[in-house]
Amino acid sequence: MGIFGDTYTLLTRELIIFKANLRTNLIRSVIFPIVIIFFFGNISASTFNIGITVVNYANNPQASSFINALTSSKTLQVQQVTSQSSAINMLSQGKTSVVLVILPSFPNKVNGNPSIDIYYSNSNFANIGAAIPLIQSTAQSYNAGISTNILQQQNNNAVLESNVAVVPLYGTSSSYKVFLVGGILAMVAAFGTVFGGGISIIADRQLGVLKSFYIAPINKKTIIFSKMISGVIQSIIYMLVALGIGFIDGATIAMGVLGLVWIILLIMLVAIGFAGVTTVIASRVNKVEVYAILAQVVVLPMWFLSGAFFPATSLPSFIQPFSTLDPMTYATQGIRDVMMLGYYPIQAITTDITALLIFIAFGLIASALLFKNYVD
Amino acid sequence: MINMNKDDDNIIEIKNLIKTFGSFIAVDNVSLNIERGKIFGLLGPNGAGKTTTISLVLGILKPTSGAIVIDGLDNIKDNELVKEKIGFMTQETIVDSDLTAYENLKIAGKLYHLKGEALEAAIKNALKEADLEAFANKKAGSFSGGMKRRLYLVKSMIHAPKILILDEPTTGLDVQNRVEMWKRIDDLNKRGVTVILTTQYLEEADRLCNKIAIIDHGKIVAHGTASELKKQVSEGSVIEIIAETNVVEQIVKLLRTKLKLEVNVEDEKIEAFVAKDDIKMVSKVADAIYKEKITISSISLRLPTMDDVFIKLTGSSIRDKLEEQNSDRANIMIKR
Repeated sequence: MGIFGDTYTLLTRELIIFKANLRTNLIRSVIFPIVIIFFFGNISASTFNIGITVVNYANNPQASSFINALTSSKTLQVQQVTSQSSAINMLSQGKTSVVLVILPSFPNKVNGNPSIDIYYSNSNFANIGAAIPLIQSTAQSYNAGISTNILQQQNNNAVLESNVAVVPLYGTSSSYKVFLVGGILAMVAAFGTVFGGGISIIADRQLGVLKSFYIAPINKKTIIFSKMISGVIQSIIYMLVALGIGFIDGATIAMGVLGLVWIILLIMLVAIGFAGVTTVIASRVNKVEVYAILAQVVVLPMWFLSGAFFPATSLPSFIQPFSTLDPMTYATQGIRDVMMLGYYPIQAITTDITALLIFIAFGLIASALLFKNYVD
Repeated sequence: MINMNKDDDNIIEIKNLIKTFGSFIAVDNVSLNIERGKIFGLLGPNGAGKTTTISLVLGILKPTSGAIVIDGLDNIKDNELVKEKIGFMTQETIVDSDLTAYENLKIAGKLYHLKGEALEAAIKNALKEADLEAFANKKAGSFSGGMKRRLYLVKSMIHAPKILILDEPTTGLDVQNRVEMWKRIDDLNKRGVTVILTTQYLEEADRLCNKIAIIDHGKIVAHGTASELKKQVSEGSVIEIIAETNVVEQIVKLLRTKLKLEVNVEDEKIEAFVAKDDIKMVSKVADAIYKEKITISSISLRLPTMDDVFIKLTGSSIRDKLEEQNSDRANIMIKR
């Protein structure tokens, strides 16, 4: 029988063992996403003290009283600056969540243009969901008897949206939660392979199971293949669990079902790559404890460098090259394109897939060489 | 029982086998023939080269030089064919605790490329032989040590090999399980399976093996039947005296000077080597001790045991730590 038959036999064994330990495996794979997505994903989601910066170009009594009305609200923490550019600066630096520009014509509309401009950014750790409606309703009630223009404009979302400045990282409907979930998926997949496939190589060696495979009339490569495939299957299961947790917490995939297919493909590539890394480590290490530490040393930096928690572009410049070399970066970017942008640009596909294939090639060649030597 | 056959019916022929790990020579020019249908024992202290020799026969390790011919096939060139002829059982019990007895056997059978009805028949037969029919669908992790050991033995034999290699098959088993394992090994051998075993229990080798080789520092230091090896130690018998430690020295002096006997002392036990069936000597020794008014606990006459052979040929029975670190097992681990 060929390599395929033997690999299938060994894979059956791996999956029976995986199934037998399903509860432990799932709990292990669920803990990380739950903690990170629910706690970090909802950071600054408080509806109190949302920072808002007002630029008052109108300087008339109506404007002052409008600002006073905003200030009296407990939800908003209002501060005033004199120029629009400095306010936008603060926004882009994350020092404020919303910028409100009161134009000179306030409260009157000029040539059909609104007299209040709102700028906000979703990529700051802010929940502006509560702030915008509050500003709208304050403006509405304050201007109730004065001008209907603002009211009309505010009811017409298209007009308001056109004044919304979104830091153009990912799409207009982006939120940090979705951003984070994208990073967690890649990480869960990596951990799934590293702790699913690799540890079992060492456990099998310690128990002598590997030896019983060596004495069987099978190609030794089938042992690695079965471990790798098992690791990939486990990764995809863990990834789907993590995605489910993300959905529960309100994350979405902008690209829909096709997006899910892309995500699974990217996760498979990450998992195969890490299966290689795993085999390399496992062929050099004899103890599960040492392996666990080494695996963390490899996986954690790759995870953080990939920009799982925050855009990799905000890393210090001397770390940036490492981020570029990190294959996880490309998987994370790909998943984010799919989840946040709503489409996967062809250029991004090429870059991401190429980077991951290089990663896989390195891993497979290294593991094939090391595993061969190991038995000699 | 003793088969002084010519070379033609050797199932395993080892020729000038050498295996080195760096500068350490684990197996030093070993040549050995193992007869078909016999039980062959490979004895030796820790680090003597037993495991390395077996790994070489199994094809897990490649020899530095030399050749191994198994049932007419070269074990490197025709590796896969050779592997199908050999069953192997290690000291550790290798069964997957997360798999049922049935699944354990099925995976093992499939790895030896058994299929369909042949596979099912082999599994059924194996379960019956291991007395595990009632536990076929129970996870092996829930089995007792003896049950696991039985499952492991039939798992190693699932492909009906001609040769069964057992690396310390009874280490860690209780007396009942050990006796049962011996019986199973005997039964397999009666059905025509050539058995090769390493063991640290010398009475086990004495009882089971038709031929025994003692290996030390990678070399075969003795080879033959149990009685042939015992003759090497002493043609005669052993008088064994057990006495309080404070009088041991006195007795030894007495035996050496007055009776001119070769004496070996181990704590409270004194062994004196005498001519074969020399019952008179027992009374002479007893008289001498009685005259000196020394009290002893016991005195007896016996034949030499494998322990005597082993200690005579390999020095002490326990090797020190440094030696242990140089052992073949440690070297194989470092290689990983």
